[in-house]
Amino acid sequence: MGLWFTAPAIIVLLTVLAYPIIASFVLSFQRIRFVSQGLSYQFNGLSNYTELLKNQLFRESLFRSVYFTLVEVVAVIILALLVALLLNHPVGRHAFFRVVLLVPWALAPVANAVLWKWIYNANYGVLNAILLGLGVVDKNVVWLGSPWLALNMILMADVWKAVPFIALLLLAGLQNIPIYLYKAARLDGANAWQQFVHVTLPGIKTSLVISIVLQSIWALKVFDLIYVLTHGSPADSTVLLNYLSWRETFSNLDIGYGAAIANVLFVFMFMLALAYIRILRPRQSKDG
Amino acid sequence: MLSFKRYLNRVLIRMALATFTLLALGPVVWAVVTSLLPLSALTSRPPDLNPLNMTIENYILVLDSSRGLFSGLINSFIIALFTSAVGLVIGSTAAYALARLDMPGSNQILMMILATQMFPGIVIAIPLFLVMSRTGLVDTHFGLIVVYLSFILPIVIWILKGFFESVPMELERAAAVDGATPLQTFQFIVLPISLPPLFATGVFAFIESWNEFFFAIILTRINVKTAPIAIAEFSGQYQTLYGQMLASAVLASIPVVVLAIIFRRFILEGFVEGAVKA
Repeated sequence: MGLWFTAPAIIVLLTVLAYPIIASFVLSFQRIRFVSQGLSYQFNGLSNYTELLKNQLFRESLFRSVYFTLVEVVAVIILALLVALLLNHPVGRHAFFRVVLLVPWALAPVANAVLWKWIYNANYGVLNAILLGLGVVDKNVVWLGSPWLALNMILMADVWKAVPFIALLLLAGLQNIPIYLYKAARLDGANAWQQFVHVTLPGIKTSLVISIVLQSIWALKVFDLIYVLTHGSPADSTVLLNYLSWRETFSNLDIGYGAAIANVLFVFMFMLALAYIRILRPRQSKDG
Repeated sequence: MLSFKRYLNRVLIRMALATFTLLALGPVVWAVVTSLLPLSALTSRPPDLNPLNMTIENYILVLDSSRGLFSGLINSFIIALFTSAVGLVIGSTAAYALARLDMPGSNQILMMILATQMFPGIVIAIPLFLVMSRTGLVDTHFGLIVVYLSFILPIVIWILKGFFESVPMELERAAAVDGATPLQTFQFIVLPISLPPLFATGVFAFIESWNEFFFAIILTRINVKTAPIAIAEFSGQYQTLYGQMLASAVLASIPVVVLAIIFRRFILEGFVEGAVKA
């Protein structure tokens, strides 16, 4: 009986997810070329992967993806924790602040990208206007014009968009900490910092770990911002793995090579997904 | 002394809250203001923010049919609506089965469903594109809806399963005693009391499919361009029409931001807690 209930969902998931994952694996061992009658497939073993390892742009993109993910996770978690603590404080509990959080979250990622493109605009952007006004810079900075800077500006725009959801996750964790634990800690003479370390942090451990895993996955997937803000420029310095795979496949039409890059990304994310499931599982078996 | 410290504390918290609000809303407010100003006001130095100059000219221009935004909004609406509707129907039945009917390996199925959420889109996109171009599904509403269903379903199932488990068993037992089949019990007993979470998951599904960009850019060509595609193309083609660029971004964001605010209670309770609680 239960099978009939789940069948439609399972069928959709199998055709749209399971089949392509296997196919992507198979494609990555092939050389695929466009011929007059569609595509020609030719088995070429591991050569897409060996080509990857030799390719400078791939190695750089891999490094940048790791950098981007690490910095984004650290920044988002710290900022989101601050926001969550703030909104959990009696003064910050007003519903208004939660609405404030939902706005950047709900915004379409492409709209977010356009928004930051305008803020970062070298000639008329408000970022330059503010920094000039404060005297931090003495002439307009071309934010998306130099390699390292452009990558970090994209990172900043992504952090801004990502903080709200993680803050909401952590806030949910904070609200599940029983008040009496804080009362007991105060009776034992714990100061604010000690309460934070010994009551708050252990209390939100699960939400914190889940936030880290989810945010890593999302950071590895970043695409929209790169597409709108830089298209990978200047000099391919903002090309991350996901973008590289897309470009090789759909722009350079090297489908097998693109699939090989996608599979590298897949391995990273799969490990993160396993971590997420492991974190959730013990709780589940306890609940029955 | 203590009260002074307390007072200072409150002032600091208020300042922090103000900073937070400014940082979170500032960029959005700036985008809205920009979208209401003519180009000449934006490119003068310093920008001419005189509210008397405000105009909806940018909005009228971007909605002109030659720009593709209007048809993009319509396409996004159709796709998001069907994705959330179909997602709810097949997602809620699956969630109910996993929550209530004894199924072999239901835990494994659930974990599998959850794991699918975490694949990088590109892995799925390449083979999917090949299959869909062979079957003529590229650049159709149907194609995009099916793909979006695959990311929406895991979330819908996950959230609704949690809710169905919290429904008191007695109701369903009583129905079973009266001779109702599981499908009838689900349809007439469980669904009617589950409207709030159903609505919430529906809204979430709508927002996600409305905003989606990555698959839309791969699987659409001309006919089914969604709003995010129209915005991205616009910002590439008319790099210097700042006001219009922002107006199109604002237009595409209004429906989802408004939905998120109206249904905030459900979203906060349903999703956020669902993600950390099994």
